[in-house]
Amino acid sequence: MTDKIVITGINIITALGLNIETSWQNLLAGKSGIKPIQLFDPKDLETRFAGQLPENFEDHASQYIKKRIAKQMTRVSRMCLTCAKEAVEKHQIPVESYMPERCAVILGVVNTGNSSIEKETDEKNTILKGMNNALSAWISLEFGFEGPNYTIATACASSAYAIAQGYELIKQDQADLVIVGGADSIINPEEIKGFNALYAISTRNESPETASRPFSADRDGFVIGEGAGILILEKESIAKKRNAKIYAELAGYALTSEAYNIMSPKTDGEGMAKTMEKALKHASVSKENIHYINAHGTSTTLNDKYETLAIEKTFEQHAKNIAISSSKSMLGHTIGAAGAIEAAITAMSVHQEMVHPTINLTNPDPELTLDYIPEGSRELKITAALSNSFAFGGHNACLVFKKI
Amino acid sequence: MAEITEAIKNEVREIVLDFFAEECETDISKINDTTNIFDDLDGDSLMFLELIEIFKKKYQLDIELKTIGKYSVQNPVRTVGELIKMQLLIIEHGNNIVNI
Repeated sequence: MTDKIVITGINIITALGLNIETSWQNLLAGKSGIKPIQLFDPKDLETRFAGQLPENFEDHASQYIKKRIAKQMTRVSRMCLTCAKEAVEKHQIPVESYMPERCAVILGVVNTGNSSIEKETDEKNTILKGMNNALSAWISLEFGFEGPNYTIATACASSAYAIAQGYELIKQDQADLVIVGGADSIINPEEIKGFNALYAISTRNESPETASRPFSADRDGFVIGEGAGILILEKESIAKKRNAKIYAELAGYALTSEAYNIMSPKTDGEGMAKTMEKALKHASVSKENIHYINAHGTSTTLNDKYETLAIEKTFEQHAKNIAISSSKSMLGHTIGAAGAIEAAITAMSVHQEMVHPTINLTNPDPELTLDYIPEGSRELKITAALSNSFAFGGHNACLVFKKI
Repeated sequence: MAEITEAIKNEVREIVLDFFAEECETDISKINDTTNIFDDLDGDSLMFLELIEIFKKKYQLDIELKTIGKYSVQNPVRTVGELIKMQLLIIEHGNNIVNI
């Protein structure tokens, strides 16, 4: 029997907390992390709110990153390394016991956040701060990992792709320990203007905390968020040998490309459905054993409609029995980090047998009738769960997690 | 050619030690001539450039970085003591450092 791939470490940094414990408790409590933007003055922007990290993030990061190195990093890089270091430390991952060349880092990185809001202006750091690969490189430098180390850019599915690639490295016996995840922030004037021009993001400035309203009739676009998510993948046999805490099995995945439109998902969620079908097959999990889906759930007109149709198409009658929630309703859309943050939340759901709600679903879209957990968090025994990521460019990813 | 006085020697040493103590968040009393910049202080090669810029401004040195680069290839620097020595040679010889 082949070794399972398991998750032995999880951490996230989000608008709802600087670690997994705080973020998870706030997610279960149904709190919104969406607030007016504080990172810069957004007065000239059409959208003036976002899911920004708590104000004490830099103090928190300084506990993990030396001042000298911090100067060579963007805020996004600091989120990523802080998240990874805390994941390794808190879970007591014995990195020194692994052969360095058998340890890998794969991250989803859309950009490093080297935007106009970066205060550091030293030209010597321009290249270091702008390199997408810097995020994974800093982690390998920190832990002395000499195995494969790279970043993947597939927009909002980037870090879900990274997790799938981490799975493959272990399956193909190229690595024993893989740190996977991603980090991102597009809370800057340039990118907010860009998304405003595409009519892709909410402009509900009068009520930021209710602006991300996936599956609602009055949803008006996604809300920009920021953060980092890290998962530590290992073989089950190695994890069990040292009595490691195991959150869940990463049972399989699917990565697909819609080849349809640079912005829009394929009509009626056809590509999304294909992705979920393929993931279930890859993980050898029956549809009836899926009890929870962490939806991509962006709060955009098309995604929420098509994702619902795709779930109905994939699961047929069973679709009504599946609990579905959108973490983005509370965190906003963390773009390159979303796949990893939501994978971490899904693995926590499997492990803790709790699922968080979709908040702000007070005016449901009459066409979307699945169980989006609007009423608050819920206890739920989960045999298996999915985490969906559907990106601009038609990059789709679906990850399958199983209870151990 | 600039004359290296005791005062300059002391000043260079003080600047270098302060720089590494500050940048590497290390107690200055723990830094000496044999301290390895990479292994002991977790430093990086960009620090050399930053220090050279500090000394270029302080002593109004007219020296090209590529000249220092050539010298460094022949005379690699790893310890704080070696770095202080190189900085003094740069102040003393300027672009002629490659000929000594």
